[in-house]
Amino acid sequence: MTEITANTKTANSNRLSHRFDKLTIEWLFNPFRFIAGFKALLLGLAIILISAFVGSFGNTHFDGVLDVHTGLEAPLWFFFAEVLINWVCMVIPLFFFGLIVSRSSFRMIDVFGTQALARWPYLIAAIAMFPDANRRVLEYLMFKLTQTAPAVVINSIDVFVFGFAMILVILMLIWMVALMYRAYVVSCNIKGAGAIITFIVSLIGAEVLSKFAIFSLLV
Amino acid sequence: MKVLPAICPSCNSQLNVKSLVCERCQTEIQGQYELPLLSRLSLDDQGFIIEFIKSSGSLKEMARLLGLSYPTVRNRLDEIIKHIKFAEKSEQDDKEEKL
Repeated sequence: MTEITANTKTANSNRLSHRFDKLTIEWLFNPFRFIAGFKALLLGLAIILISAFVGSFGNTHFDGVLDVHTGLEAPLWFFFAEVLINWVCMVIPLFFFGLIVSRSSFRMIDVFGTQALARWPYLIAAIAMFPDANRRVLEYLMFKLTQTAPAVVINSIDVFVFGFAMILVILMLIWMVALMYRAYVVSCNIKGAGAIITFIVSLIGAEVLSKFAIFSLLV
Repeated sequence: MKVLPAICPSCNSQLNVKSLVCERCQTEIQGQYELPLLSRLSLDDQGFIIEFIKSSGSLKEMARLLGLSYPTVRNRLDEIIKHIKFAEKSEQDDKEEKL
């Protein structure tokens, strides 16, 4: 009897742990199943602006829908403008493709909200780029490339921190694109090849558009 | 709980009801009765429809009750609408075939 109870408990705990794993994965890669609309918009915008704020300390610019670059000193408003431009540039083509391709009626607030929330991995990227070691290694690389910039001395810890930050930024980029795609699929109810093609076209278009818009802020 | 089969496992056609029995007095009625459209949907879909009606047709309320986002619930409803339209079309095709 005791053995049967123990076995049942183990089976229940396995089932619970399996459910927990599934739920965790879903929260990580498709949080839009649980959160969308105004809540996602508020949370997403807060995260986007915090990313820009954190980025401003290390001069990390999100100068394009997918871009993360460090270097140029700029006023705080410029960092905020960059991230907002990126968000809007991505949302507009997706919204219009949604209107054309989707057979469902969908809400604009869901598209805007989920796309804002999908950008949250870039908060981690902004934190990863924060250490001064990244700037030193980049300046060193610039010196090696151009031989014009002032010489910078770096050590092995700087290289390790920089390498770790680069890997993390690439992972966050992949994660963000995956989230942006899931956000599009859920908010516009589009599936299959149509979803993939329109998303890729939107992403390329948004990258070009955001680069152009951010560059026009500089001149 | 036993699941009411709606599709023939042999030829994938729509199944009909041949007999109905009163559990109290054992009266049995024989005939050819079509299954209602809703009973041809999956149990999950039927459950969703019942919850939807109980929420007075409010997707926002449904989303709150199920702990899901509004578009997720709306997409599920769209999926069920697609299933219903498909079932209606199959029914129509079957009738035309018989004629």
